[in-house]
Amino acid sequence: MAATIEAPAPVAPAPHQRPAPRGDRLSSWKWSHRLAFLTCWACGIALCAVTLAIVVYMGVRGIQYLNPELLFTRPTPGLQQHTTGGILDPIMGTVILTIIGIAIAVPLAVTSAVWLVEYGKPAPLARAVESGIEVVAGTPDIVIAIFGLAIFQLPILAPLSFTASGGGVFGRSFLAAGAMMSLIALPMVFGATREGLMSIPTHVREASWALGKTRICTIRTILLPQVRANVATGAALGMGRIVGDTAVVVVLLGATLQLEPQGDVPILGNLRGTGSTLTSYVYGASPAGEGNAPQKAYAAAFVLLLIVLTLNFAVDYLGRRKETR
Amino acid sequence: MTRSRRLIAALAALGVLAVAAPAGASAASTITISGATGSAPLVALLAKKYVKLKPGKVKFKLAQGGGEVGIQDAAAGRVTIGNAARDPRASDPAGLVFYPIAKDFFCFDTHPSNPLPNLTLAQAQAIWTGQVRNWEDVPGATATGTIDLIGRTAASSLPPLVQQLLLGNKTISDLAALKPSDGLVEQSVASDKNAIGFNSGYYASQKDVHAVSFNGVACNLQNAKSGQYPGVRNYYEVTRGKAQGAASAFIHWIQKSPVARKIIASIAIPLDS
Amino acid sequence: MFARRREPWTDRQASWRLGAVASLVLLTIVLMVGFVAVRAWPTLQANGWVSWLGSGGSVDRQLGDMIKTGQDPPTAAYHLRAWPLIYGTILTTAVSVLVGLAFSLFSAIFIVEFAPARVRAVVVPAVRLLAAVPSVIYGLIGILVLAPFVGNHLISPGRKDSVQNVVQLDGTGVLVAIVVLTVMITPIMIAIVVDALRAIPPAWTEGASALGANRWEAIWTVSVRAARPAIVAAAVLACARALGEAVALSMVSGSRGFSPNPVDGITYIFEPIRPLAASMVENVDAINAPAVKSSIYAFALLLLLSSLVLSIGGYVAKLPMRRQGLRV
Repeated sequence: MAATIEAPAPVAPAPHQRPAPRGDRLSSWKWSHRLAFLTCWACGIALCAVTLAIVVYMGVRGIQYLNPELLFTRPTPGLQQHTTGGILDPIMGTVILTIIGIAIAVPLAVTSAVWLVEYGKPAPLARAVESGIEVVAGTPDIVIAIFGLAIFQLPILAPLSFTASGGGVFGRSFLAAGAMMSLIALPMVFGATREGLMSIPTHVREASWALGKTRICTIRTILLPQVRANVATGAALGMGRIVGDTAVVVVLLGATLQLEPQGDVPILGNLRGTGSTLTSYVYGASPAGEGNAPQKAYAAAFVLLLIVLTLNFAVDYLGRRKETR
Repeated sequence: MTRSRRLIAALAALGVLAVAAPAGASAASTITISGATGSAPLVALLAKKYVKLKPGKVKFKLAQGGGEVGIQDAAAGRVTIGNAARDPRASDPAGLVFYPIAKDFFCFDTHPSNPLPNLTLAQAQAIWTGQVRNWEDVPGATATGTIDLIGRTAASSLPPLVQQLLLGNKTISDLAALKPSDGLVEQSVASDKNAIGFNSGYYASQKDVHAVSFNGVACNLQNAKSGQYPGVRNYYEVTRGKAQGAASAFIHWIQKSPVARKIIASIAIPLDS
Repeated sequence: MFARRREPWTDRQASWRLGAVASLVLLTIVLMVGFVAVRAWPTLQANGWVSWLGSGGSVDRQLGDMIKTGQDPPTAAYHLRAWPLIYGTILTTAVSVLVGLAFSLFSAIFIVEFAPARVRAVVVPAVRLLAAVPSVIYGLIGILVLAPFVGNHLISPGRKDSVQNVVQLDGTGVLVAIVVLTVMITPIMIAIVVDALRAIPPAWTEGASALGANRWEAIWTVSVRAARPAIVAAAVLACARALGEAVALSMVSGSRGFSPNPVDGITYIFEPIRPLAASMVENVDAINAPAVKSSIYAFALLLLLSSLVLSIGGYVAKLPMRRQGLRV
């Protein structure tokens, strides 16, 4: 049998290759729509321009003065820039504070979100919890900071910082600042967990109950593992807020440049002690504070920006992983 | 062991550590200091030297936070010593003892493009109370236009001292911008050709701003030491009641020891000069 | 002894145990509001409940006098008229949120609809980057770049002279504050609106296109309308952030508790102000003076109340949308 060569059947071009339909070409739009189109483009380009300007400015200033030695030397108070040391303690302070804040915020937020979505009785209490967390989300960080100052100077909370020889409670320590930072990160984790739990369809829960599992067992074995990615996203968002916060640190961390542990117990001592973070260091060393180490302030700001960017990529990655599942 | 038993054992161990550690702590006493950022570098240097001279006896914990915080912390017993950069006021809590340790000086600053050579008392008063508003009316100024007054917030110790020592007790005008930190005052003066501000003498030495002489006396460390320049403020160590124990030893060392005097002389003005 | 511990929780036990933790969180928040209210009480009492919100005299001088009064101030020492600070806060917040909302909406439409794939790949990380920059850095850029530019190039000497006996214009002021604040809050709004626009089922916009709408019309009349709850949520969030921004604004807003006068014309945008949160951060050093303490807590109470009003306002704004069947 003679093989017939058939011309390949004509294939319609893919959507993005087809010429734009006549109605979609700009020339056929009303002038107001054309104006809107141009505004959108202008806003988009302005956005890129502003970001570029900020990144270039901070990048140029930061990289200029950033050298590896700075990252590993401890800071000291000094009048001249070359006597003020490096930024090792602020970096460690940022890390410690973030860990404390998230360690307190995540269990509380996840528990509250689980209770709200899965139980939520009595209903007025549930609405109150929801509104309360919304209020915290909208509270300025300076208000949270002065609240922390007020309660941590009470004698009952003295073990969380230290009591000086004069009998007054110092009230400023990593634990104090960390507890207030957890309030700041709480709404993010709460919101993300709640979104995740609400997006799990009811039939998953019903199937589990039909098999005889109690509600709490369902939560623990089925629902929580599924919202892990949401919790991680919320935690990363919360960490971003903690890392970038200045007011709570300036008020509640004790304003010592180096990490000063309180007492001799290895970890507890540091938690009860004082220190500084990158944000308070930038605030103090830049023209916002004493201004006597502006170059180091830019270097520290650059490191801060890198840390926040890394956290953002982590959020992205976790979010994308969730989508592909 | 079951998981909960392991957890309880771990917590118990941590608790024992926490309780036992203070009992086994060294006999060193800790001096906690908080307060003015201006005198913090000086006190840090003094503390470092003191620890080297008397190893193992004393530990220091140096916090900053501002002069008011230092005084209030000392009064409430939250710290052993507070760093203050202003003289005691009638409104301070009762029972505080102010020990002077050093002096610092402060200048009027202008933009480098406006190197005002001198301000007399009358001229300074006229400018800072808002009577004279244009640089053209100030002899010696090369700037033109409105004078921008850059002051400090009331929480700082400088404004009352400037008013008392350099303005003959006249009040700074409401027109002045009240910047919350020394760095911002320096930045504002360094970026605005029409600005005049006041700041610690350290900033004048940085060449970002021009220090203005007062009544013919240049504002520099030498003239401040010799007493010719009137714009001088005292640094104090503040304690609740008379200083005792390690704190007392430290403060007396600062005031009497020649080693301490040398350290003070390197970045500030010793008391007895 | 621990064998009983390992029995699974019953639902009732779980409900009240988890509820106890949630109530703990709520309790902390209520405690915070309570603390702030109690500590603000002396100022409210000495000034009358609402007259401290009015104007009268220089608020800077009033705060300064409070610092000098020491530990046992007479009632007269609590005198406060905080209107210039409140006015500054409302001005910067309202204008930044409005400008930012418009800008975010158009940028979000650009990202979702009009941007070519390559441009989108640049803009989306750019938005995330902007949202991630800490506020100290915005403040730094404001005073190092924006304020000198405005002071040296946009404010003419004639303009400065014209108001020289009332206020000084040195570059920091309303304009720089609004610009910095807008740049700070826009990325959050863009992120939320983009997420909402992307969540609209494509069938809806395709339906609009099938009926003859062009791309702009389809997105504006269908997607943006459907995304209104998210736009409201974004506006509320941005408003809250703008109200609470203290550090960056204390650097760039002019450092003077002054009420800019709209009658001044263009000069209005160059006049200095100081928002509430910035005033709090600047005076927190002196918080141990009782008069200053209660004033600061009074400002905090005001900010807390406004964030409460904001969340109620957001809820109320979303109510009609809920009735239209949108998932709020």
